[in-house]
Amino acid sequence: MADGLNSKERVIKLLNGDVVDRVPCFSGMGNITVEGLNKSGVSFVEAHKSPEGMARAAASSFELFGYESAVAPFDLGVEAEALGCRINFYEHSEGIIYPTVKTKILHTGDELSMPEDFLERGRIPLVAKALEILKRDMGEKVAIGSYILGPFTLAGQLMDLNELLKDSFKRQGDIRRLLDSLKAPLIALGNHLIESGADFITVREMGASADIISPRMFKNLIMPPLKEVISEIHGLRILHICGDTNPIVGMMQECGAEAISVEQKNDVAATRAALGDEAVILGNIDAFNLLVKGTPEEVREAVKKAIKAGVDGVMPGCDIWPEAKAENMRALVEATAEYGSGRIGEEK
Amino acid sequence: MNKEELLKGLREGVIEYDEDKVKKLAEEWLKAGYDANEGIFEGLAAGMEVVGDLFAKNEYFVPEVLMCADALYAGLDILRPHVKVDKGKKKLKGEVVIGTVEGDVHDIGKNIVKLMFEVAGFTVHDLGKDVPLDKFVEEQMRTDSDLVCLSAMMTTTMVGMKKVIEKIRAKNPKVKILIGGAPVTKEVAEMYGADGYGRDASNALTEAIKMISSLREMRREDKI
Repeated sequence: MADGLNSKERVIKLLNGDVVDRVPCFSGMGNITVEGLNKSGVSFVEAHKSPEGMARAAASSFELFGYESAVAPFDLGVEAEALGCRINFYEHSEGIIYPTVKTKILHTGDELSMPEDFLERGRIPLVAKALEILKRDMGEKVAIGSYILGPFTLAGQLMDLNELLKDSFKRQGDIRRLLDSLKAPLIALGNHLIESGADFITVREMGASADIISPRMFKNLIMPPLKEVISEIHGLRILHICGDTNPIVGMMQECGAEAISVEQKNDVAATRAALGDEAVILGNIDAFNLLVKGTPEEVREAVKKAIKAGVDGVMPGCDIWPEAKAENMRALVEATAEYGSGRIGEEK
Repeated sequence: MNKEELLKGLREGVIEYDEDKVKKLAEEWLKAGYDANEGIFEGLAAGMEVVGDLFAKNEYFVPEVLMCADALYAGLDILRPHVKVDKGKKKLKGEVVIGTVEGDVHDIGKNIVKLMFEVAGFTVHDLGKDVPLDKFVEEQMRTDSDLVCLSAMMTTTMVGMKKVIEKIRAKNPKVKILIGGAPVTKEVAEMYGADGYGRDASNALTEAIKMISSLREMRREDKI
């Protein structure tokens, strides 16, 4: 038993496969809330566009709710932007809208050549700076996380998704070469984020869930470059895939990250049975139906259920929706501390 | 090839996502003088129905469904100009505005729903993806469409739909509004005041394809 760990120690020990005092409540994906933005006086646009704003917003869920990680950035356009896509930040829209990719730069048959100054392009320096600030200000207390996309998901940002999905079938050789050409920038970015202050990196291969893509295609096309990217990132790594992942959890584990992260569609007990005790499984709280729409009591129940089913870390299945209720965020953290203090899998 | 063989071939062409086969057989169907609408419903749409089953059974995934949809379109483009408009018959009038709400760049589900409307002979005003909310209201007014379909694949963009629904209702209370996409639930549809909804991402595809089946049913009963 390792007593009295702080959030940072707990998360890092868990990812290293060491014994921890209790299940941590953290995430490798966006963890920004409207409450946090308001309290830290940062607008949603600033959270994407200023390093200080990004760092303050990223720290807010730890500061307000005791959430055990601070993760930057918040959107999925950092790579695409640095590779030449135009990004829409919806600066003039009311409400919270995440940035999206406005212009696509690749077609089937193309291969990407990584710009030499890739790490100095777009918002990469800004994200790196935000991680430095987080490391400096709170790096001893809370685990600092960042993320990159998996090659297939990045391809979906760089080219038309319909084209990517169809040609993954019809012109698999071309798509394979395209995905291979995305490995270098992703590896460079992942390592750069670690050097800038991230304690761990989540690789988000969100587009590859088994309700979109067949397990066979995952194995033949998506997994090989994904596995290579993960193996070349020198630090603690989490692989996250959304949707129904039960048919592919074995392959996810084989990709070689320290932990895998799944969402609410995953049957965690089945995943635990398939992967055994050694695997580190994170998940699987519904980020919308529970954290936004649910009640604290429902959140507590879901946490209890997830821990009982066998998660090693309680984690929302996706980015926290900014409109998540403060009381639900508190319930998430508190229930994890309460139900998660036995050794994983033990009845309480 | 006789009529039954042609229909079977059209169905298979869609299921096997063989665009060339569908094109060839659609031409033959017309050359033989058969009814274009029958070819669409009993050939192309019937094939897509099987695709829906294969998708529901996890034999087909999204890429396969998209390729089948392409094959269906290949046939539809050939047959549709030859659909006879019977003026004596009561027709289900159909104009529909469809699009994915601002902030959302995912349009696969929307495209399949659009396909379903096109099969049924609706005039579809497709606004595309990442559509500013007011555009839906303007387009409905401009076209006087009976139906507006809003799609959001992400929870963060879903709230936008509520505003659109309120605005359209304020201007034209008779319009039917359908919402769909991954985060949309029955509860959300009710809360937002929509007339119908499509459940999660994979269900939206299945549901859209199921709507084709009910359209075929209606056609048999001579309603459209």
